[in-house]
Amino acid sequence: MPPRISVPIKARLPSTLRVNASHPSVTKSLGRLSREALLSLALDWLDEYAIQNAVPYLLPEGDEEDEDMDDLYPPCRSVSELRQLYVNMRQLKGSKRDVVSRITEGDWRHGLTLFQLAMADFAYLDEHQTSQRWSSYQILPLQPPTRSTEEEDEEVLKVDKESLRVPRFHPATFLQQLQDQILPDVKAHYHFHRTANLPVLLLRIFVVHSGVNDSNALHTKSSGQEEASFDGSKTVYLAFPDGAPAIYVSRPTATGGTVPGDSKSLQTLIVEGVPKALSRARERYTLKSTNLQSRNLWALLDKRGSGRTNAAGGGWSIYVNEKEQKTPLDSALTLPPPSKDDSKGRKREWPMSQAQQEEKRAKVIAEARFGDSSTMDDGRGVERVEVVLQDPFPQQDLTGDLEEDVDGGSGDNPRRRSKVDTVLLQAQSTLDDEAADTTTSSTWTPPVKIAFTGSHVFAGIRQLVEAGMVDGERMPGWMTGEEGVTMGVVRHGRIRGFKGSGL
Amino acid sequence: MSTEAERLDEEIAALKADVSKARQQLAVETSTIVATAAGQTLLANDATLRTYAEKQAAHLQQNYHRIVTPVTSFKVIDPDPHAVDGGHVLALRFEAMTHGRYLHQYYVMLNRPYPHSKYLRVHRHTIPPAIPLAGFAARYLPSPKPDSETPPQQDLDRFARAVRREVARYHSRLGVMADLKRTLFGRHQEGGPVADDVVEVNMADLEAKQIALTWADGRIGRLVMDDNGQVTKMVVQGAEGRDWELEREVLASDDSTMEDVVRQLQQYAAREG
Repeated sequence: MPPRISVPIKARLPSTLRVNASHPSVTKSLGRLSREALLSLALDWLDEYAIQNAVPYLLPEGDEEDEDMDDLYPPCRSVSELRQLYVNMRQLKGSKRDVVSRITEGDWRHGLTLFQLAMADFAYLDEHQTSQRWSSYQILPLQPPTRSTEEEDEEVLKVDKESLRVPRFHPATFLQQLQDQILPDVKAHYHFHRTANLPVLLLRIFVVHSGVNDSNALHTKSSGQEEASFDGSKTVYLAFPDGAPAIYVSRPTATGGTVPGDSKSLQTLIVEGVPKALSRARERYTLKSTNLQSRNLWALLDKRGSGRTNAAGGGWSIYVNEKEQKTPLDSALTLPPPSKDDSKGRKREWPMSQAQQEEKRAKVIAEARFGDSSTMDDGRGVERVEVVLQDPFPQQDLTGDLEEDVDGGSGDNPRRRSKVDTVLLQAQSTLDDEAADTTTSSTWTPPVKIAFTGSHVFAGIRQLVEAGMVDGERMPGWMTGEEGVTMGVVRHGRIRGFKGSGL
Repeated sequence: MSTEAERLDEEIAALKADVSKARQQLAVETSTIVATAAGQTLLANDATLRTYAEKQAAHLQQNYHRIVTPVTSFKVIDPDPHAVDGGHVLALRFEAMTHGRYLHQYYVMLNRPYPHSKYLRVHRHTIPPAIPLAGFAARYLPSPKPDSETPPQQDLDRFARAVRREVARYHSRLGVMADLKRTLFGRHQEGGPVADDVVEVNMADLEAKQIALTWADGRIGRLVMDDNGQVTKMVVQGAEGRDWELEREVLASDDSTMEDVVRQLQQYAAREG
């Protein structure tokens, strides 16, 4: 065997690169799929467009007598035969373990390609759409550099607030540019995927820390020493919503062994590399965190998507609702609907009791505060909302001094906050500075952090309002979800930084 | 019996449909009667009906305003108890219409969050991200700088004009794309598409300024529109590289409109096909 030489280069990892079929990461990513998904995945691999990236192990031609009797999964002679075999397996009942071992020990015993692994991961993502935790970023245009000299590097470009450009996204160009941004000691494999029921384009980036881009980057069959490098690999997903200047980045997950602290730097790398990849000559962009994180992509699409719901959450959602929009040519006046409640009221022989009236009132208030948003079955739930309260502890009636010193969030305060804890620290430090500017320095302002968790936080709050547990009239606006953030700092009863306007 | 239950369900559904239809009818007829002069004299003595008539009149007046001006304003109260400026919100309504039909209304809500200042700020809106609202807001509704010597001036009028113009353009471009689809797909109904027919038309960017075309033989192309709907650029890529011939033929002049492009595309397909 001639010595294999690997030259460090900057190219991406090819899709056809094979990973040993017995590698734990292969069994892991196949093992978490259902039997049904595995079979359709295998059929996808054998599909015409994918086959060159997922060549199965077939019986070598002219080798027909030499069949190994011990072989549990005798290889097929042709792709179509194999395809038929998997179609037949669909009809049969069996465990998913059979399918996994059929794939890893039979038809792809010589290894699975990176392409196949990427497809397997996307099959899992399709099945478990909430398996990733996404952070949403806004794409903002930058001002063109003023100096064209070499000092340019030092110039920090500002966000061009007056720009009327809307960033455009072209997957192929983007990938090329992103590859240029990635350091030569990082090897990555990219795979685009479109999920049937989500208006996003997903990009999976599989990163290996290695200088070479052949199979040496992943493992060597003879020694197995370099498997460690594969263990340091990371998978990160980017989601590009259709028709929205936003990008959702998932939290990187380690495929093999965990390397603590590393995944964060990868995300930072992505957040720095992506805007450069989006930029073109004379058109530069930057990413800005929107303090919105969720496992539910629909929740992100609702607040940072292509629709009209982005900056009209909570009670403002009635202005989005198509049904309530009336053309001026419709002369009929819609009064508060002669609805079911009324007809019931007529039938009812006794007047409503106090409790019933309160219940009805709570429902009406919930309707006013939440509009059509935040219902239990809208599928746009966020699972965690964290806020830090910076308001002084209420000693008297709070409603008095609302209009005063509203400033603070509007100016040049840094709005980018990655974690609530850092926000909390920051809040404590700024508290000392701003102690004088609040009403009296003796006002006690305890740092309070509130976290709501659940399957659909804002629908839960709405239910509490409907049940009368939360006073819907005195409830602050951020509890309706209209600010469009899952992390924030509350001052004067509002999330700082005018988050709800979406600008 | 399941069939019996199904039959009853159908009957209930049909009856419910009847009821909602009748309600609609009632609403239309009531508003018509109340709006007439004769109706109003008849109602003059009934207190409840008179308030209804007043509401109806106000509604009609609002409709007239909305018909004659594409941007109308109204006031809303922010339900948030901590809202700035006592919850006073000024809302702008932008009408989007094409072909004599009202399609959508877009709203921009403005409030006054700055202390001791009457400057406005966008509070909520329903403008899609294809329209650079943030840019317009920064240009025409800048935030006040109390310390600077030349305070920036806000111009709500220009803001509303700019947003309306952009909304109208966006809808026109969407309309052009729909027309393109309709005319290009309309003709190859009989006998399936030939090689030179366009089989797919897609929006290629979020502003609807670029259109991706796919031909039946696998060629792909891009059309680029400018703000005013003129087609400025066209690229066609086939299996053997750029299809210069088609590009030249379709984009004959510098200021082709989409109608010209469609005509050329149809001629091209008809000639060879």
